[in-house]
Amino acid sequence: MNHSAVETASVLPALVIFVPTATALLIFAFGRFVSWLRETLAFAGVTFALILSVIIGYKTLHGEILTSFETQLYADSLSALLISMVSLVSFVAVVYSLKYMRHQVKEGGLPHTTTSGRLTAFYGWLMLFISTMIWACLSNNIIMLYVAVEASTIASGLLVAFYWDKRALEAGYKYLMLLTVGITFSLFGCVLLYATGSNLPGVGGAKGLLISELKLHASSFPITTIVLASAFLIIGFGTKAGVAPFHPWLPDAHAEAPTPVSALLSGVMIKVAMYALVRTVTIFYPSFSPVAMFALGLGVFTLVIGDLMALAQDDLKRMLAYSSVSQIGYILMGFGIGTQLGIYAGLFHMVNHAIAKALLFLAAGAVIYSTGMRNISQLGGLAKKMPITSFCFFIGALAVSGIPPLNGFHSKLALFVAGADAGNWWAVGFGIAASLVTLVVLLKAAKNIFWGKESEAVADTSVREAPLTVVISMLILAILCLGVGLYPKAVYPPIKEAASYVQTINTSNKKWRLLKTRRSGNHMTEVRKKC
Amino acid sequence: MTHISPELIHTLSLLMILTSFAAVEARNLRHSTVAYLAQALLICGLLFAYSTQNSALLYWAVTALITKAVLVPWFLWNATAGHEQETKPLIGFGPSAVILIALLAVMYKLTHMHASLFVAQTQELAEIANTNLAVAFTVFVLGLYAILTRRDAIKTVIGLCLLENGVHLSLVSLAPTIRETALAGIATEVVVTVYLLLYIIGGIRSKFGTTDTFKLSELHW
Repeated sequence: MNHSAVETASVLPALVIFVPTATALLIFAFGRFVSWLRETLAFAGVTFALILSVIIGYKTLHGEILTSFETQLYADSLSALLISMVSLVSFVAVVYSLKYMRHQVKEGGLPHTTTSGRLTAFYGWLMLFISTMIWACLSNNIIMLYVAVEASTIASGLLVAFYWDKRALEAGYKYLMLLTVGITFSLFGCVLLYATGSNLPGVGGAKGLLISELKLHASSFPITTIVLASAFLIIGFGTKAGVAPFHPWLPDAHAEAPTPVSALLSGVMIKVAMYALVRTVTIFYPSFSPVAMFALGLGVFTLVIGDLMALAQDDLKRMLAYSSVSQIGYILMGFGIGTQLGIYAGLFHMVNHAIAKALLFLAAGAVIYSTGMRNISQLGGLAKKMPITSFCFFIGALAVSGIPPLNGFHSKLALFVAGADAGNWWAVGFGIAASLVTLVVLLKAAKNIFWGKESEAVADTSVREAPLTVVISMLILAILCLGVGLYPKAVYPPIKEAASYVQTINTSNKKWRLLKTRRSGNHMTEVRKKC
Repeated sequence: MTHISPELIHTLSLLMILTSFAAVEARNLRHSTVAYLAQALLICGLLFAYSTQNSALLYWAVTALITKAVLVPWFLWNATAGHEQETKPLIGFGPSAVILIALLAVMYKLTHMHASLFVAQTQELAEIANTNLAVAFTVFVLGLYAILTRRDAIKTVIGLCLLENGVHLSLVSLAPTIRETALAGIATEVVVTVYLLLYIIGGIRSKFGTTDTFKLSELHW
């Protein structure tokens, strides 16, 4: 915990939400009439959001907590890490979309309105989707956190059904229905927290809505309320995060959405839901540690289910989607371990998976772009014709599997060390076994697609490397996977700082014990408002 | 503080159970929409009654009137044009009635036994809150029941609306002092979700030729 963190009123948290929202509105208003405007505005919007996120990250790393609208928007290091992750993956997704989506809409002969209308809708909803995810990461108001998370579902609903064929429509319907029902549970949880919190002495009124306030008084909550609220929150936000057994929407939506949207869904959206879960549930860790044990059990269950299901897939994007379920299991496992190292490992894996899985989806999209095929069994020998895509896919596959010297290795190692340190050897055992399965699944797919004999589809002379913007966006992520892997110290400070804002439990002596110092640290936070 | 009549609140709450049941069980989707509309008006009535305690709820009552009682029924009415008859559900009227009574009894028992779990209030308000919570949870579970057992996609959307109504009623009961901004956000979201769902269901009808969710079988595993 940064004990000397200073709360500073700033326009930055509001601006980083406003920029993509305004861009979306401009795209909706003028996109149909000026063809170059859609792409230009989207690119400018995400670039600006990325710059703002980095500035917020820099300031929070140097001892500031930025707030807007009193403390309704609240950017500490944890929020800053998340919005930087969202902005970065969004930036790459938009660069990737520039050529990719024009090709998909024009060549794909999509029905339902004109090409111009389709692209306008795509970029408009995409920017709204990005802004709602950033909003969720900055919201300090517990009800608005729910609203922002649900808003991101709404903004992405039509993106999932974008291709408007039977599969996409079915995926879109399931996506909106299941996520709305699921997230409604978390509203119950949020209301329960507010209702109980606002009746505590010293909280009252509008203060009871603020997570930063509730966190300080979490130890005064009755155990029954903690159990009930945690259950509702885990079901609600867990559904959106793709935690098993609430994950059935995930493979459908990830597989049927356009590739840049799949990269965003898998790379960041499910992490934003996980962030909401962490922000709300971990406030009870110091006073009621069984919540953490429950999260750990659910995390291990999720990683096993995800990996087993990924083994059975032939559809490339579906396989990657199930692999995401498994990786979400690892992240939840880190938060379930609940120690400082566990939280650090969970956050680190969140960042690594965002980069690596977005890369894998983009590479899968490049394969689909060039060959028109998505079944692993129909592909083969693509490495010669698509060397860069092939390289990127292998980097992504090895990174997600946790093979050194790539980024995933460090976070998985930290995760297993944290598990062992806390005495949760059973979870570590499952984690290592599932990692081996992940390696087998991803490398087998990579081998079938890129090595061996050229399949009939690939033998077609028209198959060649994807366009420049697609290749550039994949290379950015591949370089990040390698860079973080070779020099993990670069990301250590922001992740460690972010982890210090999550409540932890101390499991030394292999017992669930309270870490009282954590809460006293909160009280030491100096509060100073600048006008 | 102006007192609100417990009788009025109880009557409105209990009528909500009946409208929920009618919305789930009516085989004609337009009749179901009308039952939902009646429930939306009851919620607005409850919010107006509660607004004597918290003026922010007056603001929400007006928002709910526009979103729940005008926009959502209007969307549903348009979506059912020419397709009024619901696809036969999994569970029929008789078993549904038994399930409803059982649900209501369980929810009453639960909320009254564990009242302390929720908000500490004056005895009179606690009584109202407990009744409302029992009703809210019943409406919520009935909505969930509709989503799980009805095959027609539009009926599942009506189920979703009931589910949301249940949550909103519980919200008012548990947190009557909640702020306007939060309420506006929640109310707006429901209406946009319903609109988008019905829009996608329109696409499903044109591609699959039906709104029977059992026929949505393109994606497995």
